[in-house]
Parts: sequence; C-alpha cells; structure tokens
Amino acid sequence: MTALEASFEQINPIHLSGHFSCNAGELLALVGPSGSGKTSILRVLAGLMKPARGRVVVDGQIWLDTSQGIFLTPQQRRVGFVFQNYALMPHLSAADNVALALQHMPKSDRAIEALAWLDRVRLTEQEARRKPANLSGGQQQRVAVARALARRPELLLLDEPFSAVDQMNRTALYSLLADLRADLKIPIVLVTHDLNEARLLCDKLVVLDAGKVLQDGAPLDVYHRPRNARVADLMGIQNRFSGVWAGPSGNGRTGFLHWTAHHEDADAPESKPIVFEVPDKGKIPLGFPVSWVVHPDALRLRTERALADVNVFSVPVEVVSHRDLGELSLVELAVQALESTTFRMVVSGSQRLALGEGRRLMVDLQTDQVHIMPKKKQA
Amino acid sequence: MNWPAFSLSIQLAICTLAVLLPLAVWLGRGLARSRFRGKAAVEAIILLPLVLPPTVLGYYLLVALGAGSPMGQWLADAVGVSLTFNFAGLLLASVIFNIPFMFQPIQRAFESIPAELIEAAQVSGLSGWQAFKAVELPLAWPGVLSAMVLTFVHTLGEFGVVLMIGGNIPGETQTLAIAIYDSVQTFDMQSANLMALVLVFFASFAVAASLALSARYRSRST
Repeated sequence: MTALEASFEQINPIHLSGHFSCNAGELLALVGPSGSGKTSILRVLAGLMKPARGRVVVDGQIWLDTSQGIFLTPQQRRVGFVFQNYALMPHLSAADNVALALQHMPKSDRAIEALAWLDRVRLTEQEARRKPANLSGGQQQRVAVARALARRPELLLLDEPFSAVDQMNRTALYSLLADLRADLKIPIVLVTHDLNEARLLCDKLVVLDAGKVLQDGAPLDVYHRPRNARVADLMGIQNRFSGVWAGPSGNGRTGFLHWTAHHEDADAPESKPIVFEVPDKGKIPLGFPVSWVVHPDALRLRTERALADVNVFSVPVEVVSHRDLGELSLVELAVQALESTTFRMVVSGSQRLALGEGRRLMVDLQTDQVHIMPKKKQA
Repeated sequence: MNWPAFSLSIQLAICTLAVLLPLAVWLGRGLARSRFRGKAAVEAIILLPLVLPPTVLGYYLLVALGAGSPMGQWLADAVGVSLTFNFAGLLLASVIFNIPFMFQPIQRAFESIPAELIEAAQVSGLSGWQAFKAVELPLAWPGVLSAMVLTFVHTLGEFGVVLMIGGNIPGETQTLAIAIYDSVQTFDMQSANLMALVLVFFASFAVAASLALSARYRSRST
C-alpha cells in the first residue's frame, strides 16, 4: 500500500517539479547535487513550505492539495523531521528536547516517555539530563531522532543525516535506521548527496536536478538504466559513451549501435566505424544521437581476443594509466579506434598482471548490459 | 535627599517598563521574523528618539499635547485627560523616548534565534504560543533582560524630555535628575551630591546585575 504520494509544481522562488511515492516501511532517498531542491521537497512534505501547486497524501490523509485549498500546518501533520544540524533547543536538556514533541500526552507522563525514547536510541539517563552542547555529535543526532519519533509520526524525514557524523556513528546510524524501518512501518524519506549511502540503504531512489525529479525507482534500476545522460552523470556512472542509433538488425530483438567519439572532430581522420548489436526496444528513430552506458560488471579485461560469443563484443584498447590500491587496481583504457574515449574499470586478481602503461589489451563488453538513452531531442 | 523625587523616578521607570515591555516583545519579535516593504523605514522611525535631542522631542510633545493644541483640547474635552505637567504626560514622554532602547536589543535577540529552531518547534507540534513560551522567549531572554535594564536606568536619568513636558512640579513631575539640577541651582550641593550618588549606585547595580544574570543564563544553557 502506498503510504506517501507527493507531487509538486512551482517556478518561483525555487523551481520544483515532479512526483514520487513511497510505501510504508520503505526508505526513499532524494539524491542530487547541492541546490537541486532536495531540502525544499522535505520542507514541502513537512508543511514548512507551500508549493504553488502540489499534493501530498500520507496514509490516505490529504496533507496538501492546492487544487482543493487544503494545507495542513506542520502542527497538524504527524511528521518527524530530523534537521541537518539537528536543531536541538540549546537551553533544554536532551530529555526536555524530546518532551517538546510529546504535546499530545499529559504533562505528567512526558518526562518518563522522553526517557524511554532516549533509551531506545541508546542514551543513558545521565546523558538525557545534559544540554545538547555537552553531548557528542552522534549523541545529538540520536536525540534529534528520538524527538522526531516521539511525535509518533506517520512520515519520517531526515535531512542529510550522515553529513556531520564520523564513520563509527555512521555505521551505528545505519543499523538504527534499519531497526526503525522494521519497527515503524511508515515511509521514511531521507536527503543525501552520497550515492553510495543511498544505494546501500534505500529501497527507492529519486534523482533530482535543478528542482526537477529526473528519475525514480529501485537503486539498481536507476544505476543500470539511467533515463538520460544527466542521471548517468549524477549517479557517477563513468563508462558513458556517445553513439548514433543505426536501426534494427531485423531479428526483432536487437539493433545496431554506431559507437562515436565524445566530441566528433571534423579534422580527425575517418576511422573505421565501430558498430555492434545491442538489445532494441524499438523506441529510438534511425540516425538519432544517443548516450549509452555499460555497468562495470559487464566489462572484462583480456590479453587476447576471445572466441566469438553471442552478446560479447571485443574492443581493442590500450592501457592509459593504472592505480594500484591494495587488492584492486583502477585502470583507464583508451579505445584504440576512437578519439578521447576511455573505459574505466576496477580489476583484481590475475587480470592485474597484464597491466602496464601502453599495453594493448582487449575489453569484452557484455552487449545485453548496454543501456541506451536518446540524447536531447533536436529542436 | 529628595525622597519624593526619588520615588517618582522609580515609579516612572517601572511604569515605562510595564508599558513598553509587552509592546517591544510583540513588535520586536514581529519585526525580527518578517520582511516587508518599508521595514527599513519602520526601523528608522524606531531609532529616531535616539538621535533627536531630548528637548526637541519634549518640545514637540508639548506642542502636540498642550492645552492650546487641537489634540490637547480634544483630550481635555472628550476624554477629560490632560497629558502635560502631570505623571501621565511624563509616562507618555518616557515611553516614546525609550522606544529605541527597548526595541533594538529585543529585536536583535529574536533575530539571533535560528529559524531552524522555530521550525523544529513547529514540526514537534508546538503552537505559536507554546513555541514562544518554550523556545523563543527563553532564547531571547538575555536580550530582553538587557533592554529592560537599559530602559530602567535610562528613565531614572531622563532630564530634557521630562522637564519639557512635565515641568518641575515637586512631588508631581520633579524626577531625581531634575531635583539634582534644582539643588545645584540653589547651591544645595550636599543633597545634589547624595542624589547623584544614588543614581550612580543604581546604574552600576543594574548593569552589574544584568551582566551577572545573563552570564548565569549562558552557563546554564551549555
């Protein structure tokens, strides 16, 4: 059951547009570069900001619907918000900070309940009596989480929860989040610019750029099949190339991809075109320029050409550079037939023995793992 | 020692505070949290009494409220109140004169509260009034306190504006500062001395107390 549905459309003062949803017990990550509107969207969900047009439905309850003139204030929404810098009240003890969010309880019960919440995030009674300034960063964050949960929210929002904590607290926070997700059964939305974190933790990714939702889906889906070149860039996909769609092959399943250099140089000598067969979904018109990506898992380095195999295309390359990092090496391989076109790969084990600057090798490319995105429509 | 003058000055200071404090907290907080066209103009008007010579301010108040003015006449006929040469007039002058001393520190104090804390209070479910009581006022308190001390001591020392609108009626509008001037005029240096010392003592005590209180407040919040 979809527990959170959000859509918004606005030009001023910040551009926002898009739509996403999240199920109960799911963790959704809003990712994007700074200034992409991630925090603004959290504020819209919390009721701290009202978009020009929008709709937010949580657990069947309409929190915002500009077309019907519905706008619930933050006080009317049961929402837990963990601010980036925690926003703890400096003049109140940790326990009193949590008690603030217990307005729905009789005054006499608040102190005990606040201690119980702090206990759940593993803060002792002695620590609960301290002011935020006398707690470590990780402890402050746990107080902020306890305060957000104490309101018994129907939606939990976390703004860059990992940005200000060290690695040890980070790991602790990962496990806390995992526990919460299992216990709470409410949608959790978190904002992050760390893609690894998002991939590690989330059930759903929403990629934002300049206030616009570019793509949403399961992390692996977004990573393997970015909707366009911008998403591929934002996801940090390095093996992204250019090409031209050369039309279907005739068998109904595959088509031809004409691989081109990133920046076609008119003066460059005409090189032999690289064309290979890839899956065809029949969506791209003939001759249309495309971007394409291939996941590192679908690349393999060899010293000689492999036996012909379906779904494998061998590309002659030359080692440009390699950096050895412990058990692994990061390699940059220039495609011999194309100007300024390189593969980036991580190799390990015996494959590393072949590495040496200038060595000529082969890269086997799993063609069924190639994902093609049409370039921006020509005007 | 002119006890009636001393007592009048204290009464005037307390009444000025009582009138200005709620007003300044309400408007200062509003100004701190809002942006509108003409905000700079409003802030300039608030600062005006600070840069005007007190006698000029007193003069205009006298002209505006005196029995010969339309406003003074209307007040006398319709409401039956006179605002010159009595305590009510003194209080009005004192309130106007102290506006910048009260508003400025209070507005700054509310401005210095991070917006995030107020938003955190909202998402925690606190109503505007609850957030004001539990979060904003405690955080703005050092600023409010110093505004109160400043205004209190400043009222005790007022001379020009009080003399203009209140005159120098012993027991009714003669404040401590005016009494000192009077004593000097009549070569009663001994009582002038004593009253001056009382003012010095009061001012020092008030400043020391406010510093100590805000220091204690800060140490409590860390």
